[in-house]
Amino acid sequence: MSVGERFGGPRATRQPGLLVPALLGALLVIYFTLPFVAFVARTGSVDVLGGLTTPEARGAIRNSLLTAPVSTTIATVFGVPLAYVLARETFPGKRLVEALVILPLIVPPVVGGAMVLTAVGRFTPIGSAAAALGVPLTDSLIGVVLAQTFVAAPFVVITARAGFGAVDERLERASRSLGYGPLATFWYVSLPLARGAIVAGIVLTFARAIGEFGATMMVAYNPRTMPTRIWVDFIAGGIDRIVPLGLALLVITLSVLAAVQRFGRVPTVINR
Amino acid sequence: MILEVDDLTHRYGDEPAVSGVSVSLEAGELLAVLGPSGCGKTTLVQAIAGHLRPTAGSVRLRGRVVTDEPPERRRIGLLFQESTLFPHLTVAENVAYGLRARGVDREQRRATVARYLEFVSLEDSHRAYPAELSGGQRRRVELARALAPEPDVLVLDEPLSALDRSLRVGLREEIREIQRETGVTTLVVTHDQEEAMALADRLVVMNDGEVAGVGAPRELYESPPNPFVASFLGRSVTLEGTVTGTAPPTVALGTAEVRVESVGGLEAGDPVTCHVRPETVSLNGTGDDLAGEVREVADLGRRYDLEVRLETGDTLLVECRSDPPGVGERVGIDLEGASLTVF
Repeated sequence: MSVGERFGGPRATRQPGLLVPALLGALLVIYFTLPFVAFVARTGSVDVLGGLTTPEARGAIRNSLLTAPVSTTIATVFGVPLAYVLARETFPGKRLVEALVILPLIVPPVVGGAMVLTAVGRFTPIGSAAAALGVPLTDSLIGVVLAQTFVAAPFVVITARAGFGAVDERLERASRSLGYGPLATFWYVSLPLARGAIVAGIVLTFARAIGEFGATMMVAYNPRTMPTRIWVDFIAGGIDRIVPLGLALLVITLSVLAAVQRFGRVPTVINR
Repeated sequence: MILEVDDLTHRYGDEPAVSGVSVSLEAGELLAVLGPSGCGKTTLVQAIAGHLRPTAGSVRLRGRVVTDEPPERRRIGLLFQESTLFPHLTVAENVAYGLRARGVDREQRRATVARYLEFVSLEDSHRAYPAELSGGQRRRVELARALAPEPDVLVLDEPLSALDRSLRVGLREEIREIQRETGVTTLVVTHDQEEAMALADRLVVMNDGEVAGVGAPRELYESPPNPFVASFLGRSVTLEGTVTGTAPPTVALGTAEVRVESVGGLEAGDPVTCHVRPETVSLNGTGDDLAGEVREVADLGRRYDLEVRLETGDTLLVECRSDPPGVGERVGIDLEGASLTVF
């Protein structure tokens, strides 16, 4: 065998460089597509509108649309500043803080819910005090928000942190030397420049919050949100019963994503 | 004095970055801080601008101690080596940025922005974004942005290093002209001695975190206070020799005896190191005193650089304008008119 042949000389057929990764990736895409198509195909045999107009379904939609935006807002208001600090400062215990931020992502949501429950459950000091004040932290919309925030907030923190990390610190120094304090610099320079990543994080957080099931089930099985209602319907009536709410959940999430892409001028969710 | 840095010391952990540096700038002066990379220039700039709190020492602006004050409370216009234009703002918004912080109203801002953009010949680029500009244009916008709020001191940290040579020379002249026209007190930090000499009224040479020399560029070049300044400012070659006399001061280099300006406190018989400027060495010597063999000839266009191996064993770099001798040729060296500094 000549050297030329061994190394795939001139006669060897030239393969397109991305053939192998494309084939492997295609398998995964097919696996994503198949369940989606099969599920949506069910809509033909199901009365979607009828399923969505039942009082239970309407209540679940209302609860989800009330809680997910609140959880997302809380996650954003507290998570973006945390992300900025993590991106800019080194301090003792930073690794621990980072680990705590990732913790809700790596514990199963059900366990996360159990953790929240052990902290603010009805028989804990915090939970009982809140209940005495007429603000029950479990089996209430507040409970839903607590569960959603616990599970979904890491998304905005991690994504925004990456966004701030990509902003050149010298731009912030330039802003300071041009007369702006740290807060004004954050507002006028860091925040707008990390906007794409932050918006992407908010979208991910919202999608995670509105679809949250495991932790919500533990902390606030009632009042029902769309995911908990879907579970109840599934137990009672199988797949066809959950198609209407399942589709509605999908439509809401896709609409939010589309709206953010349209108005937020963010090309894709995970391009940065 | 507009700016006084007094006995500034800064350590990163145990690593000293600058120690005991004192620098001062008079109103309207253009001072260049020159030194190799890692000599503490950037630390000095950061301490002046307030982006770093020095371990010891003080910074005064117009007589007020600002050492512990944040950058936004000092009126220092800063230009970094790389562009720091805000990419999400237009050119005009960038230039107006510092004015808004100083509470300048909208009309006044617009007029000032127009004036400064015209000043840097970018009056047609108000609405452009930084990404649409060339490297040189971006530099000019940054200059306008730094100058618009009328800072007490303009600090330029390696302002031209990221540009290519032709652009660098043009922009260097522009900076000098702008500085003359506005009269803004300016501190330029650079590792490029040509840039420093061309720009500065006064030069501070730094080495290893300390000030190695201060003075007018020409003065430092012609009579460097120490070997570091001699070798860093322009090119110089060191030759080992011996003091042969003190009145008049003479030094023996091989078999040649050369008259020098001064031998400091040395006496006859003391060994010395002489720094010689290659452009002042003549090849027209008889060869009786000092001679050597040409080892290498490099054609640099405007001149030739010759490496001559002397009979004493030293290697001498000689600049030659035209008709260089060939490699291997024996040449006579004449140091009579040469610029020689003895340490």
